[in-house]
Amino acid sequence: MSSLLPLMSLLLEMLSYPFMQRALLSGLVLGALLASLGVFVTLRRMAFFGDGIAHASLAGIAIAILAGVSPLPVALAWAVAIALLVYRLERNARIPSDSLIGIFFTASMALGVMLMRFTRGYQPDLVSYLFGNILSIRTSDVLLILLLSAAILFWLFLSIRPLTFLSIAEDSAAVRGIPVRFHTIILYVSLAMATVLGVKILGIVLVSALLILPSATSRLLTQSFKQYFIFSLIIAELAVFIGLSASFLFDLPSGAAVVLAGTGMFFLAATARTKK
Amino acid sequence: MVEDAHFQIPEGSIAALIGPNGSGKTTLMKAILGLIPLRSGDVFLFGKHAHQVRHLAGYVPQRFSFDGSFPITVREFLRLGQSRGCSPSVLREKIQEVGLTPLVLERRLGTLSGGQLQRVLIAQAILNNPSILFLDEPSTGIDVSGEALLHDVIQHLNREHGTTVFMVSHDLAMVSDMVDTVVCINRRILCAGAPREVLTHRTLAELFGDRSGVYEHWHDEVPHVHEKIRSHPNAH
Repeated sequence: MSSLLPLMSLLLEMLSYPFMQRALLSGLVLGALLASLGVFVTLRRMAFFGDGIAHASLAGIAIAILAGVSPLPVALAWAVAIALLVYRLERNARIPSDSLIGIFFTASMALGVMLMRFTRGYQPDLVSYLFGNILSIRTSDVLLILLLSAAILFWLFLSIRPLTFLSIAEDSAAVRGIPVRFHTIILYVSLAMATVLGVKILGIVLVSALLILPSATSRLLTQSFKQYFIFSLIIAELAVFIGLSASFLFDLPSGAAVVLAGTGMFFLAATARTKK
Repeated sequence: MVEDAHFQIPEGSIAALIGPNGSGKTTLMKAILGLIPLRSGDVFLFGKHAHQVRHLAGYVPQRFSFDGSFPITVREFLRLGQSRGCSPSVLREKIQEVGLTPLVLERRLGTLSGGQLQRVLIAQAILNNPSILFLDEPSTGIDVSGEALLHDVIQHLNREHGTTVFMVSHDLAMVSDMVDTVVCINRRILCAGAPREVLTHRTLAELFGDRSGVYEHWHDEVPHVHEKIRSHPNAH
């Protein structure tokens, strides 16, 4: 018991810093959001979507930096526009979503790189968006994260059955009277927003891991959808807490620490399953 | 594209849509269900525009590309399409109606055999007690014993509940034995009527070509269609 005391005091010290309070609060909320949406990302086999949207948001960030405005709202609007474009083309042009995401992800990233050419000097905002930075989270960011996450999680809570049904059997769901188009558009928009919000902590390069890792780990351990959903949430929250704590205690990059914590749990679950 | 698709099937009957691959069977079924927009024309179900009474329909699609490793139990799957949930007794009743035991409800969907999965899909489709059930090639990927069980389920739903059944099928023997109305399609409707009128050698040759691999014979003045057992050309 006494050996835990130094750890406890370190954790209490960590929680006394306002920037860590903001990081943990937004990280835990985002963990729940990304893990919940990740269940549908893996079910619909669109793991590339989060990665693509995160990278595509670079153009939005670059536009905001050039215009001298806050990057997060611009990146959000840009990502939502890309997601809606992907949805529309996917339905109308009959092009697979992974091809569309591949096109928009690279084109938007290229545009971002091109626009960055016109910015002058070192851009701390850009670096924090690329790799995630817990110090960069302002109170206004926390409020935006809480507001949007609450709205998306509320919709998800109300729509979990129809959304799961249409993700498994879209035509059957449509015949049953479920508004397939409405739910799919909301899912795409929610994914785009959640991914960009996650970029603040995890970074463009790593944010999609929190969409994939919790659900992939949970799948190894569970037998029912209810267990699967709950375990995904627990794994995401553990990864965020362990990762951010390690980031604070050992001065590590926050995004990398969270992803490595999640990856560690994935391998533990895979090992446990192999031994069964 | 399917043209000139004009046909009627009697309420409370079993009807089958037959035709070669690529003839538009699934397209026509999806168009009837409103899953594909019509270029022209109307679909009527029970005397009303189909979009007004689509809630009376149940549907089992041809392809169910479900990731077998996804953790969801049969019970959870059946409840997905119910906005207000579904009582355990209704789930037990429906699962028994398709010839499965209630123990199946606790199994993972991905662990079911092809025949069991198909019957679970039918149970899902009949949860709302549909007046008409659309089945797109229900016996695809099912072994012979599974097929027989599936046919029993379809006949049970039709006889006991008066459910109209409209299915796409490649199984001509089953069609000749079980259905009341056959609709032949090859990009347009070639014929429609009772099996004894429609399943003739001439019609089948027109529909599938001369090498259709079926023959007909008569029992009690009713034609029965069987698939020919053809030996391999190199066999001795």
